[in-house]
Amino acid sequence: MSHALVPTKLEELWAYIAENPEAMLCAGGTDLLVKIRSRSVTPDCLICLERLDDLKGVRFEAGEIIIGALTTHRELLHDPIVQRDLSILASAVQNLGSPPIRNMGTLGGNIVTASPAGDTLAPLYILKARLKIRSKESSRSVPIESFILGPGKVDLRAGEILSEIAINQDSRFTVNHFEKVGRRNALACSVVSMAALMNIAEDNTISEIRLAWGSVGPTIMRFGDVERLLEGRQLTVRGIEDAIRKVQQSVSPIADTRASADYRRDVAGRLLLRLLSYASSR
Amino acid sequence: MSNRPANIGSTLLRPDALLKVKGEARFSTDFYEKGHVWAGVKRAGRPHAILKNIDYSEAIKLPGVIAVLTHKDVGGTNRQGVIKKDQPVLVEDRIRHCGDAVAIVLSDTRRSMEEAIRAIKLEVEPLPAVTDPRLSLKDDAALVHEKNEDRNILLGGAITVGKGRAAEAECDEIIEATFETQRQEHAYLETENGWARLDDQGRLEIVCSTQTPFRDRSEIAEALGLDLKNVRIIVPYVGGAFGGKDGITVQTLLALSAMHAAGRPVKMWWSREESFIASVKRHPSILRYRLGAKRDGTLHFLDVDITMDTGPYDHLGGVVLALAMEHSGGPYRIPNGVVDGRCVYTNNPISGAFRGFGVTQVSSGIERAMDLLAVKIGMDPLELRLKNALRAGDRNFVGKTLTTSTGITECLETLASHPLWTQRSFWKRNAGILKKRGVGISAIVHGSGYGPIVPDYANAKIELTGEGKFRVYCGVVDMGQGNSTANVQIVSSILNQPANDIELVLPDTERTLPSGSASASRCTYTFGNALISAAKIMKERLCRKAADLMMKKDPQEFSTTPITIRHLPTGSEIPLKVIANMMDSSERIVTAYFRAPVAEDLVTGDYNLRLHGMPHNLFSYAANLACVELDEITGKVTVENYATASDCGNVLNPQLYEQQIQGGAIQGLGLALYEDFVAVEGHVTTKDFSTYLTPTSMDAPDIESIAMGIYETTGPFGSKGIGEIATNGPLPAIANAIFDATGHMLEKSPITPESVLTALTEISKE
Repeated sequence: MSHALVPTKLEELWAYIAENPEAMLCAGGTDLLVKIRSRSVTPDCLICLERLDDLKGVRFEAGEIIIGALTTHRELLHDPIVQRDLSILASAVQNLGSPPIRNMGTLGGNIVTASPAGDTLAPLYILKARLKIRSKESSRSVPIESFILGPGKVDLRAGEILSEIAINQDSRFTVNHFEKVGRRNALACSVVSMAALMNIAEDNTISEIRLAWGSVGPTIMRFGDVERLLEGRQLTVRGIEDAIRKVQQSVSPIADTRASADYRRDVAGRLLLRLLSYASSR
Repeated sequence: MSNRPANIGSTLLRPDALLKVKGEARFSTDFYEKGHVWAGVKRAGRPHAILKNIDYSEAIKLPGVIAVLTHKDVGGTNRQGVIKKDQPVLVEDRIRHCGDAVAIVLSDTRRSMEEAIRAIKLEVEPLPAVTDPRLSLKDDAALVHEKNEDRNILLGGAITVGKGRAAEAECDEIIEATFETQRQEHAYLETENGWARLDDQGRLEIVCSTQTPFRDRSEIAEALGLDLKNVRIIVPYVGGAFGGKDGITVQTLLALSAMHAAGRPVKMWWSREESFIASVKRHPSILRYRLGAKRDGTLHFLDVDITMDTGPYDHLGGVVLALAMEHSGGPYRIPNGVVDGRCVYTNNPISGAFRGFGVTQVSSGIERAMDLLAVKIGMDPLELRLKNALRAGDRNFVGKTLTTSTGITECLETLASHPLWTQRSFWKRNAGILKKRGVGISAIVHGSGYGPIVPDYANAKIELTGEGKFRVYCGVVDMGQGNSTANVQIVSSILNQPANDIELVLPDTERTLPSGSASASRCTYTFGNALISAAKIMKERLCRKAADLMMKKDPQEFSTTPITIRHLPTGSEIPLKVIANMMDSSERIVTAYFRAPVAEDLVTGDYNLRLHGMPHNLFSYAANLACVELDEITGKVTVENYATASDCGNVLNPQLYEQQIQGGAIQGLGLALYEDFVAVEGHVTTKDFSTYLTPTSMDAPDIESIAMGIYETTGPFGSKGIGEIATNGPLPAIANAIFDATGHMLEKSPITPESVLTALTEISKE
């Protein structure tokens, strides 16, 4: 790598991108710098986005929560809006990497890296996050599930950046659950993860549920049929057994040094059992 | 540090603690100079092949490249190793593992060095790789060393005890199990590195991160054909070693590089990835145990079969095997049996010294076997251990009579009355929803020192400086464990001098005296004993000098006091500085020698086993307890509590003691649950810390370390070795805790969530 550019204003950024069309964008670098070190990417020029203050922070705007793409994980964890209204995202970020990684890494970086094991992704899928994509000339907004195309693949064209993440809180959930299964308690790449937003009626039936799994397919996986099956069911082992099996049949995990595909498949379904702890004990 | 004299048995802060926290301590990585040369290694990249040609024609043309060196540039034997010198410095014609060093690039910059290494092309003829130690023993296996006497066996041996296998028929109960332990990487913070220069007199000076400066010097001289006197090794602070720097890493490569750098200093510093591929690992092992007892729980018979995968070179593999065989029966009286072991060559990564040194592996075998037996007999596992625990005067499993302090009974009794043990049923019943709990124990013995033949000696040296302070020349490396702090305590307390007036000279083959390796739980025992003698001689010499000066007849009337010598009857004092100035520089230096006592027992007629260390004379003991919680959804294991009661002699420094226990226990926790250095067909697949997982602070339980404080009469101030024993406890204690929770004994490590989940689902089926 011969040079790195550090814009502080968007106009500067657009100019740098225009002058260096081959440059790679860096948003925290906790994944990119690892790839550069191992020479799996060899960019000649890096444009570092971390000092674009306009793309940082969390705010309410027109009934939506807007998160700047360059907001670091640490900033998210300490943000009162995230703590109060996006607790599922907060619990995912709490388990992400380690303190140094949370200090450097950004939400936008985690999204654009598009790893099936990206810790923030499963919560963002069920929060129905929309992503704002900007270039010098234009701006568009896409749901996260159409932005992420596959492992490391996103719908980002030349000259575009991910600028903001918008979350519309159309419904409220009493249960905000995220569990990451890793091989250790910190600095662990997820082996399976599950995010759940759920409302339970007084008689312990599931009235509404949204679910998403990480690390069991090429991207975050959601299963509409599992959610439909669960809605109206009792929150008991019996009530969710067939949903567990259905999840196990639907996921498509791979094996690597961390876990076998069978384990991931098995545990992806079993993680639903954790929801039983939210059942009220009458 | 402290401005008052240190006491033995109380905590003295490490003199290096603040320096390290502030970044002021100098490690060998910190050596730089304008215009220095970078040296890097071309690795073989394949597990087994004939090397036909090394084409560096492109590499040498790259800008900044000074030279490319191959085996043709090596002047000596081109062989290194401790017992068996079977490892080439640079490969001649045969590649035996992916990490073999084939060529060295010298370059002006690190970047051009790396580029040149990539540009070197190796022409090879691949050979079938031997990567399964079981298959390595078959008649049709490819040979790793064609000229080795016993095909792929580096060292093998057997010991029969009492009636041998005939005693099996006399047992009421027998259990049998086969355990497999994995390859473990040391994962020290500071990767292998060094700094070297050849001066115009032909003298080589090497600053490096090593546990063995004096042995390195001989190995370098022999491999490169140099005069020993022309090689100097200096070892500043070391950023961790754990056995991985017990022997040559960069040293010979660096020395060879310096010989071709036209007098410029040369730096070599392996990346983490290179360290992973090239450095030694803990031996993977296959352990078959048959353990038999009488109905009342008296152990009667043991048959152990040990196979260890040493990779392509000895390193210290034979010694590791011998120590494993010696400890295969644990801390118990077992009157009859057989231990049969072999260390085999493969084309896997090299196995070698690693804290625990074979004892870690067999401890996990005998201790899991004990719990299987306890259940079979229907006896409490702690009671079974107490019933058979070794006492002084007993013979251990290989027949060595225990003549030194033997405190395993006290350790076990301490656990027996510990709340974590007495209240375990209550604790287990209180497991949360979808959780299961278990409590397991392990009892460990760990020998220290080199065994009966290789002399385990140290030479201490103390100098009274012109300022009236004391300089201690440490011949044994402190790789972070804190033995140099113990050295300060010993000298400070004997001479009654302020601890911060004691200056340490770290190992340097030209200044400090040969004192063996920083290994085998021997540092403070052997060097400490020598240092006590030196300090006493110094004290006596100074008192005599003072008596002469004050015209008193009896030096006994004097004592050293902080910065002075006092005449006790009159209270008059002479400053040490004054005394120092009246002494010739040769008088101000005291040296003393200590050689550790060895076992006289002839437990085996096999000289080779004895040469490799069988048997030892001095043993430390520990009993450990692990409380684990298992998650029934994921199989995740959480160690909630860990306690260890250990007999490592009298404690010189409680804080260092606790740090050794905790550090060792966490390294053992890594072996039990997380760490697995994987090579598939000889190719490493856990290439860095993203896939080679060590426990983090978030994974470490509270660890309680209780010292028995039993006085060992041969030890310095009653102490014994503590460096390794704590590493051996966690794997068997955790496996036994999972056995307690699930009824399934997991035989393979690391214990993965997957294997626990399988065990848990099997119970729900039952």
